Amino acid sequence: MSLASTASAKAQPSMLARLFARQELALLVCLVLVLVFFSATVENFLSVRNMTNVLGQASLALTAGIGCAIVFISGEVDISIGSLLATIALPLIIIMNDTNSLLLGVSAALLFGLIIGAVNGYLTAYAGINSLIVTLGTMFIMRGGVYLYTGQRAISDDAALDSFIALSDGRLFNIIPYSAVIAIVLLAAFGYMMQHRPFGRQIYAVGGNQEVARLAGYDVRRVKFICFIISSLLATVAGIILAARVGSAQHTAGLNFEFQVVAATVLGGVSLAGGIGSLTGMALGVLILQFLSNGLRGLGLPTEWQLVITGIIIIAAVAVDEAKRRRANGG
Amino acid sequence: MALPTSREGPTGQMLSAAKTPAPAHGPERREWTEMSELTHAPAQRRSIGGQLLGGSQLVLGAILAVLCIAISIAAPQFYSEPNIIAILRQCALVLIVASGMTMLIITAEVDLSVGASLAFVGCIGMAVLNSTHSLTLGMLAALAFAGGVGLFNGLVVTRLRVNSLIATIGTMMMLQGGVYLFTREAVQNHNRLAIFTDLGAGYVGAVPVPVILAALIFAVAYVTLRFTTLGRYLYAVGANEKAVRLSGLRSERLKLFGFVVTGLCVGVAGMILSSLMNAGQPTAGRGFELTVIAAVILGGTSLLGGRGSLFGTLLGVLVLKVIDNGIIILSWNQDLQMVVPGIVIILATYLDIIRNKANVR
Repeated sequence: MSLASTASAKAQPSMLARLFARQELALLVCLVLVLVFFSATVENFLSVRNMTNVLGQASLALTAGIGCAIVFISGEVDISIGSLLATIALPLIIIMNDTNSLLLGVSAALLFGLIIGAVNGYLTAYAGINSLIVTLGTMFIMRGGVYLYTGQRAISDDAALDSFIALSDGRLFNIIPYSAVIAIVLLAAFGYMMQHRPFGRQIYAVGGNQEVARLAGYDVRRVKFICFIISSLLATVAGIILAARVGSAQHTAGLNFEFQVVAATVLGGVSLAGGIGSLTGMALGVLILQFLSNGLRGLGLPTEWQLVITGIIIIAAVAVDEAKRRRANGG
Repeated sequence: MALPTSREGPTGQMLSAAKTPAPAHGPERREWTEMSELTHAPAQRRSIGGQLLGGSQLVLGAILAVLCIAISIAAPQFYSEPNIIAILRQCALVLIVASGMTMLIITAEVDLSVGASLAFVGCIGMAVLNSTHSLTLGMLAALAFAGGVGLFNGLVVTRLRVNSLIATIGTMMMLQGGVYLFTREAVQNHNRLAIFTDLGAGYVGAVPVPVILAALIFAVAYVTLRFTTLGRYLYAVGANEKAVRLSGLRSERLKLFGFVVTGLCVGVAGMILSSLMNAGQPTAGRGFELTVIAAVILGGTSLLGGRGSLFGTLLGVLVLKVIDNGIIILSWNQDLQMVVPGIVIILATYLDIIRNKANVR
């Protein structure tokens, strides 16, 4: 897989690269179908206001999804991102309340995220512990830590800086929410890195075949270590946006968020086995789920149905994808 | 067998186990001899599988001993009869589901839907109990539902080839949504059947009923894994599925078995939980799947499959629940009940890896 992706970056697309392209095309078709269906059944679904609102809501999963996809592609998993969302909101809000400075608050949050990513990455890449166990552990530790520190009470954003509040309701040119702008910029930057920079290709190589990557002279451990740091930093950005939206540091923030992100990422064709998938696919996966949930709400279905239908769609999508892949490999 | 650090397939060791299911050289064989093995010459240490297993269980046994001693020094009431019974009762629910989950993880699959299923099963069991006035029918409904969930998971994973992590996240979402569509609030116990109350709160002699049920299920699972051909095949399918298929076994059926057994265990646990709470709670079981998986992993069962034992799982459950109990009787902040297990899981796995490296050298 890694070889195929490397080739696609350089010269004419290989057969596998075309297969990936087809997969993203299939996702795009799904997204269009969802849009067409709901625009026919739900009033105002296609309005600019609703579209941009959904984009704003999707920005959390889009931002964290980039990190999730990158870690998946490197052949590992990170399920600590939900707890991370709640954890980094603490230094962010507390420091902003103390200093009235968005810059200091955000820096503190990013520093926290960096440390957590380094811990996850070190334990996985250098200590050699299974990443599911590591991030399950740090997930427990962080969530428990937040409960301990806050005594299960929300810490409100007393500073209420304009620049911080703008993250939740500000819009670029009064149209696109700033949170969506941030997500799109990050998506473009990391998408470029994954497809066109040597480091991105290294991540594909490491996830595709660790042994081959090692023999090719890549520092497998370092690549994985950095992937975890990227994942935590991006989840931190998502956490900052969430804190701005709810206007406080909530101990329950981001509960089950990791499952939503993992589901959307896998729906987007990023394989848990590593080395396969793209950020474009992940983004399409997030958008499909987000528009679906928005449309179902527009139809007046209770939120519980959204959970049920999302669950069915994830299983069905992966099953279809798997069947397609087997047919491609078999024939 | 695959080291937790590597992603490559296992060596041919399980292959021989798959072809000739003789109990002579299996992983679990070693757990009783670990002490002597440690004191003897390294020349004896040839079975890598046995090594890993013995190691993680020894570490875990030591952790458990240190915990018990430390807590009882700090709080002498730790060893009082009511407290020990309380710990055992706490262990029972987790151990029941962990018994099934151990088998499933040994076949290299995992089920994240057990927490959501636990809540749903309790509600369904209670609703059937209310309308039929029969514990048998309520229990059967619970088992049928939970077994059905396991069957569904198993079919999706084995027939549709969906990764079990994703498939069961999907099922988890469906169950979480579904339970609220089934009931918005707790299903109260209308009949107050004495026998149903006994399921969670009763005693036989000095032993709580859930503990007896857990012991029974544990024993059956233990015998199956350790002494039967089926158990041997479960290890084999987790260690090297391809080899198992090539030697003529139906690997899908073995995995399906793991999923259904896990589901049935959830059925029993769900009924006990609703008896304890005297109601079917749709919000019950949040995070239960993570506790169960943490206990199984802590017990030395590898997520990559093919390696692990129920004895380790028992130790894992005990360690987690003794920690929980210690935090309560030392009157520490109960939120530590989330932090400490997280540290313990990582630490235990890390110690296991260090020990393996030392042995390999």
